[in-house]
Amino acid sequence: MLHRPKVQAVTDGGDIAGLVRRVQRGETAAYGPLVRAFLRPAYAVALAVLGRRADAEDVAQDAFIVALEKIESCRHPERFAGWLLQIVRNRAKNRREERRLRDVAPAADAVDAVVAPAMVAGSERGLLAALEQLSAAQREVVLLHDLEEWTHAEIAAALEISEVMSRQHLFQARRLLRGQLAGEVEDEHE
Amino acid sequence: MSEEGRIDFGPLDPSRDRERWEVMVGAVVAGGLARRRLTVGAQLRAWGVPSLAMAAALALVVWLAGWWRGDPVATVEPTRVVTEWAMQDEIPATERILEVLGGDHAR
Repeated sequence: MLHRPKVQAVTDGGDIAGLVRRVQRGETAAYGPLVRAFLRPAYAVALAVLGRRADAEDVAQDAFIVALEKIESCRHPERFAGWLLQIVRNRAKNRREERRLRDVAPAADAVDAVVAPAMVAGSERGLLAALEQLSAAQREVVLLHDLEEWTHAEIAAALEISEVMSRQHLFQARRLLRGQLAGEVEDEHE
Repeated sequence: MSEEGRIDFGPLDPSRDRERWEVMVGAVVAGGLARRRLTVGAQLRAWGVPSLAMAAALALVVWLAGWWRGDPVATVEPTRVVTEWAMQDEIPATERILEVLGGDHAR
């Protein structure tokens, strides 16, 4: 993994609420750290809904810009993560619905299209296909935990679930993913 | 959950290509700032016109009320009168100064 900034590291101490308030006051210098801290989680949630990297990147960016535009309506800056991720989730669902109406054959073609040729065969495609087998909540939890390195406390606060539920989702998600990915590896060797 | 159990989502990591990632971050920051400026500008425009209209209407009402009462202060413009005094090197009487600048205190 080349670049995986933790929220606390990016925000220099983890004072997210302070950063959000600075953006609300119009301090332009606060925009960069806030975006740097939360664009990846936004992408993770968009990916959990959409299952495509390119779409998830698009939606994460669009949703973040919308969130910055109406950041005054974030009344509890300490709960910024949950507020932002809800905007991302809603926009991702809208995009998924648009895609469903537009696309004739969605999943298989799309996954093939976003796999970089130089990548190890099956890895990205395999992960996306395996994620498809999980529930939406399981996908969000496993991506926020294993991709973003969020703690269960952070996930629970952002997704408004209990820490116990977060652990359960992660346990189930990993079990299912390992099964799927192991099957994929076996298929490749046959 | 142990670290060993972690799934490697490296291939799905959006910041694997660091340059591309920085472009994405920059685009969001720029987009957010641009939208916010638009929003502030639009708010100023939205509030500016009614505020000016209200101020003008209020000034008109005050002036008309003074004019109706025959109040000399309301019928003259202090700045213009004082400028005329200065231009003509005129030294007005104290009463006249109070009348123009002091309003009620003159009476």
